[in-house]
Amino acid sequence: MAMASSERGLALDRLWRWLGQSWMFVAFFVGFFLFWEWSIVLFKIPLYILTPPSMIVTKAWADMGRLIQYTYVTGLETVLGYAVAAVVALPIGLAIAFSSILRRTIYPFLVCIEMVPKIAFAPLFISWLGFGLLPKVIIVFLVCFFPIVLNAILAFNSLSEELTRFSYSTGASRWRTFLKIRLPAAMPQCFVGFKYAGLNATVGAAIAEFIGSDQGLGFYIQITTGNMRPELAFAGIFFLTAIGLALFGTITLAERLIIPWHISIRRTRT
Amino acid sequence: MPGDGRRSAPPSIRDEGRGGLTDLIELRGVSKVFGKGDAAVHAFGPVDLAIGEGRFVSFLGPSGCGKSTLMLMIAGLLEPSAGSILVNGREVRGPQTDIGIMFQDSTLVPWRTVRGNVELQLEMRGIPLGAMRARVTALLKSVDLEEFAERFPFELSGGMQQRAAFCQAMIHDPKIVLLDEPLGKLDAMTREHIRADLQRLWMRNRPTVVFVTHSIEEAVQLSTEVAVITPRPGKIDTLIPVELPFPRDLAVKSSPEFIAHVKDIQEIFHGYGVL
Repeated sequence: MAMASSERGLALDRLWRWLGQSWMFVAFFVGFFLFWEWSIVLFKIPLYILTPPSMIVTKAWADMGRLIQYTYVTGLETVLGYAVAAVVALPIGLAIAFSSILRRTIYPFLVCIEMVPKIAFAPLFISWLGFGLLPKVIIVFLVCFFPIVLNAILAFNSLSEELTRFSYSTGASRWRTFLKIRLPAAMPQCFVGFKYAGLNATVGAAIAEFIGSDQGLGFYIQITTGNMRPELAFAGIFFLTAIGLALFGTITLAERLIIPWHISIRRTRT
Repeated sequence: MPGDGRRSAPPSIRDEGRGGLTDLIELRGVSKVFGKGDAAVHAFGPVDLAIGEGRFVSFLGPSGCGKSTLMLMIAGLLEPSAGSILVNGREVRGPQTDIGIMFQDSTLVPWRTVRGNVELQLEMRGIPLGAMRARVTALLKSVDLEEFAERFPFELSGGMQQRAAFCQAMIHDPKIVLLDEPLGKLDAMTREHIRADLQRLWMRNRPTVVFVTHSIEEAVQLSTEVAVITPRPGKIDTLIPVELPFPRDLAVKSSPEFIAHVKDIQEIFHGYGVL
């Protein structure tokens, strides 16, 4: 079998496809902003409603000090809340997956709470804990915790029948089976939870800041909108997006490092 | 009922010529019922069978006849509802570890290479890898996989994956090898190829093999005995000794004896309305 040559062909193929796809994406992206820019003039949209992207850039540049400081504030809330959620949720998911008692007690409780919109707790936390960092971290934590824990439970409970039987037939201890088979087999599904949580982390931080805060990008967006400065609100949204992208990028990178075999499967199949 | 006259109480398969006088696997009135009450499904049995050391026995039957269930019970991965199973004279009460096991879906893990997957069997058993490296290489070589040792399963064709899984099931030199339709998902040409590999490895090490299949030709080609299993609830209709010389290559497969065996079995299944 001519594995090497077919692989080289595949790599070239992949490069072409990537070029084709991303070229269109870049074109679309540029087109979108050009359309935005011109539509303000074309449809005579007043500047206090919507501002052209060029103006967002120049005005944001003038206010860069505040934007960077607030990006740091919101970024810290997001990262702290996410990190605590990841560290706490994974072992809890693991415990629930392996304990029938926990599965009958805590698990249904968690599923019930998952139905509650976590954001609805935000005003309460702020009234209890004030305007500072802690209530925001808790809300980001709540938003991130459930997807991670529920996916971890699913991950550790869905080992294939064949691999379960194989493990038994080797006579390996539960611990060894866990380390060599269950844990790596569960990683892809765990990362589904990590990524989903990562996508929602900034939502938690921004909304918590809307409700009660004196700094951060959510606060910034609210104040600038109130002051009829939509260009600065947009700048705040862009920086918030940047935090989300950086977090998601980091998680994706971690996924590639931890389970390269899974990524590569997906890559060759698409 | 076809085959009635041929059925004799506890049939025993022994390899007298090789001095294998002990029955390695004994099934005594084994049956399996899934579920309870009205919803209960009588899947299998009762079955009596004794398998001598070093034999290659096929469980041949239509799908749903419980042949896989029986295999899992021998492996100690499933408890019989009635009767008992003895391996090496000891009753099976939990998972058996002196076995190699292979299913239709391979037990290769995607995060390890072919070599890593074979070594997984050893690592799970706490066997130090150092001395075994050369053996892993030799085993992979015997099924033409040595060039793919550092490849991941998804880079391999279905047939190569099953050959890798076969190495994984055999590396610890088990006395009993349980194969549950390991060639089920492969195309006809690949199956033919892997059957030859399988036969060669069996002839060399002579483990006791229980081979579950629904291919009549495959069963006759590989086995020392074919246990023809009825539709559910599965029972052994007939135990057919296949006394053709090994290795059974294409020439043997076109011999009149081979064809007669295949025809006999076809007639049995025809009698049950499954063919």
